[in-house]
Amino acid sequence: MKKIFLGLIGLIGLMGLISCDKIEEGEYTVYDGAKVSWMSSSASLTAVQRVYVEKYTGPRCSNCPLADATLSGIHDERVVMVSINHPTGQGTPYPGQPDMRTDGGTVWDNWFGINAIPAAYINRDRSTQYLGEMSNIIGDINQALTVEPVIALEASAYGGLSELDVLVNLEFVKEYTRPLTITVALVEDSLVYRQLLPDNSTDDNYVHNHMLRKVATSYWGADVEASGAVGEALMGTVNFSVDSDVNLENSHVVVFISDKASRKVLNCAQCKIIFEEE
Amino acid sequence: MMIKRIFTLGLAVILWNAVSAQGIMGGHVTGNVQLDGQMSSADSVIGAQDVPENLLMNARADVLYTNGDFSAGLRFEMYQNPLLGFDARYKGQGLANYFVAYNGEKLSITAGHFYEQFGSGMILRAYEDRYLGLDNALLGMNVQLRPVPGVTIKGVIGRQKIFWEYGEGLVRGIDGEVNLNSVLGFMKECKFRATLGAGFVSKYEDDEVITSAVNPEYRLNLPLNVGATSLRADLGYGNWSLQAEYVMKGQDPNAINGYVYHPGQALLMNLVYSQRGFSASLQAKRIDNMGFKSVRSQSGEMLYINYLPAITKNHTYAFLSMYPYATQVNGEQGLQADVMYKFKKGTFLGGEYGTDIHLNSSVVYGLDTTVTGGAGTEGYTVNGGLGQTLYGDVSVEVAKKLSKSVKLTATYAYQVFNPVVENEPGSLHHNNIVVADLQWKVNKQHALRFEAEWMGSDSHYDANDPEHSDRRAGDWIMGLVEWNIGTHWFVSASDQYAYNDGVGNYYNLSVGYTSGATRLQVGYGKQREGLLCIGGVCRTVPASNGLTFSLTTSF
Repeated sequence: MKKIFLGLIGLIGLMGLISCDKIEEGEYTVYDGAKVSWMSSSASLTAVQRVYVEKYTGPRCSNCPLADATLSGIHDERVVMVSINHPTGQGTPYPGQPDMRTDGGTVWDNWFGINAIPAAYINRDRSTQYLGEMSNIIGDINQALTVEPVIALEASAYGGLSELDVLVNLEFVKEYTRPLTITVALVEDSLVYRQLLPDNSTDDNYVHNHMLRKVATSYWGADVEASGAVGEALMGTVNFSVDSDVNLENSHVVVFISDKASRKVLNCAQCKIIFEEE
Repeated sequence: MMIKRIFTLGLAVILWNAVSAQGIMGGHVTGNVQLDGQMSSADSVIGAQDVPENLLMNARADVLYTNGDFSAGLRFEMYQNPLLGFDARYKGQGLANYFVAYNGEKLSITAGHFYEQFGSGMILRAYEDRYLGLDNALLGMNVQLRPVPGVTIKGVIGRQKIFWEYGEGLVRGIDGEVNLNSVLGFMKECKFRATLGAGFVSKYEDDEVITSAVNPEYRLNLPLNVGATSLRADLGYGNWSLQAEYVMKGQDPNAINGYVYHPGQALLMNLVYSQRGFSASLQAKRIDNMGFKSVRSQSGEMLYINYLPAITKNHTYAFLSMYPYATQVNGEQGLQADVMYKFKKGTFLGGEYGTDIHLNSSVVYGLDTTVTGGAGTEGYTVNGGLGQTLYGDVSVEVAKKLSKSVKLTATYAYQVFNPVVENEPGSLHHNNIVVADLQWKVNKQHALRFEAEWMGSDSHYDANDPEHSDRRAGDWIMGLVEWNIGTHWFVSASDQYAYNDGVGNYYNLSVGYTSGATRLQVGYGKQREGLLCIGGVCRTVPASNGLTFSLTTSF
């Protein structure tokens, strides 16, 4: 009798342990980003293959200015760059200095498993990581620019004081039936704050460009509601809020389209913000 | 779909063989058939809508084959089209239920559709009520073990039926019950009786995007597995018995609770004393966020995994049941007391034949809560006090045989009803109701029943806004005459009339014929809109005006 009773209690307890999820307070919601509204489009786009370069950096990283110097030598407008502040260690801001860490950037950083900065990836291809001075990245960027585009992508952004409307146009140049996502991010240039230099001195007037300020869609992008047939064209609209500490006049919007499963970027675009008259 | 077809074909072959060759396979086939039809035409006074089909019909046929420990059954259902008040998603016809089962001494297994209940049902009750249009059958497996006398262990897994489909949520459950008097040698002859039980039910559902109420750029981090645990005891000593069950439910943000993360819990207790000629019971219930569905986005009455018993009396007289109480799954607390006493024959109050008196009272309040947020938050905190009054009633029923052939039952009831129970605005209704029910057995062939009811209410019907006004409001009178002729025929006529502050004159004529297990009933009249509740679970009944008929038989 005792064995049966204890066995029963044990069985129920075991089932309880494995069959009930507990969400901790403070984690009841997760960032899902602004929603993208899709509609079919008759716009005909010029198919331009661009390259998405994602760089991980930090203010206490002495080698990061070397990577900045390498990448700043690229003047091809087809290269879309985003700098992400590493969440810990060398990414930690100096006291009294701006904190450029973002939730979205941290999620991406964790996914790549970044444990040393500077680090960079081309089109989110995890198989090749670029570190340090990154002189070898230039050739690979140029190589990636020669790939024939699968999807033509263009973006335009319209801003008010604290909100942005982003218009995305895409057209399938080649058939692509696997699920896709589109990510919209806000990037700010000309941010001036302290940076550790290669000689271990610090520069309080270091200019940081392409800094990720917000991932507007969900971190891994919103679903692209398309069949992927050649010639299929869609227009998506996204509206999102912007924190007051972002200088929109120095900002631009980055949009990239990714394979949902592998998260590799197929194409990208960037645009300055057109300010609507109040 | 393929599995269902193979299963159905196999079952049909078994049943056909059973029917055509009972001598070979043995066993027997039983079943029942029910047809309910309705014709209704528009009536703007009572709010009845025209039925474009002219005829609505619900029909079902259950067939059960049993052979020793083996049984198999199926049920055909047809809703062409569903009767008024039944969900339009029932529309259609087909095999609604099928199962095969083995029921041995120590092991029972059911595969297919099954109904099951753990304890009082507060963590699991798969059941069907044809009058409510409710069928929460699980499609899956149900295994019951009885390793030793007095011990039962149940395990279930399946998906819940919703109309002609099945909910996405997967329901798993285990329950154990031990009767200590059977299991423990020293308690076998003991006056103290005890049965202890415990159960656990978990549902799994895929993730989905539900936007936070606080910030639309955030979505809810949903628990995919939601569990509910039950602990219960059924104790007895002499004339006393006590049933108690406490249940807990983990975080379960869903459409009913507004997607809040507040955990659920409920307590149900029932203390009973009974002896010859007297019984008394006191029931207490407290529910906090115990709506437990297998699909979180589902509102309405379908796909409930659990059932929360009502502690208000399920009245049968027309005016007493005009404002039934619907269990508030998000939160309520209440008490019910019930006393029955029989004055013996030959006493002052008992008279020549004895007198039965039945007192009942129940009161239900909401929870006293402080709202702390909306979807994606804890939602609220519960304070110690009472919330708003939801329902209360007190009724006295006296039944007395006046002569060998005449029996009178008189009832007085006072009700307080809060329209918020039906998600309607408005202030509390206070109703006084008197019922007189006289049964007269004229002779061996004929019996008559007369019923007169009156209800006075402080509710008012607003003729300027009939769409949003309650047609049950106002003061009412009712009369009913029922004539039973022999064992086959009965005829009844009734009329309900709102004579003050209300609207409507609801007359009904009905004729029925019964022969053996077959019963046919035809009625004509008007049905008032309202709510039909059975055990605290309710279905909206719209107004209708026209012919109804019903045929039931069993074999």
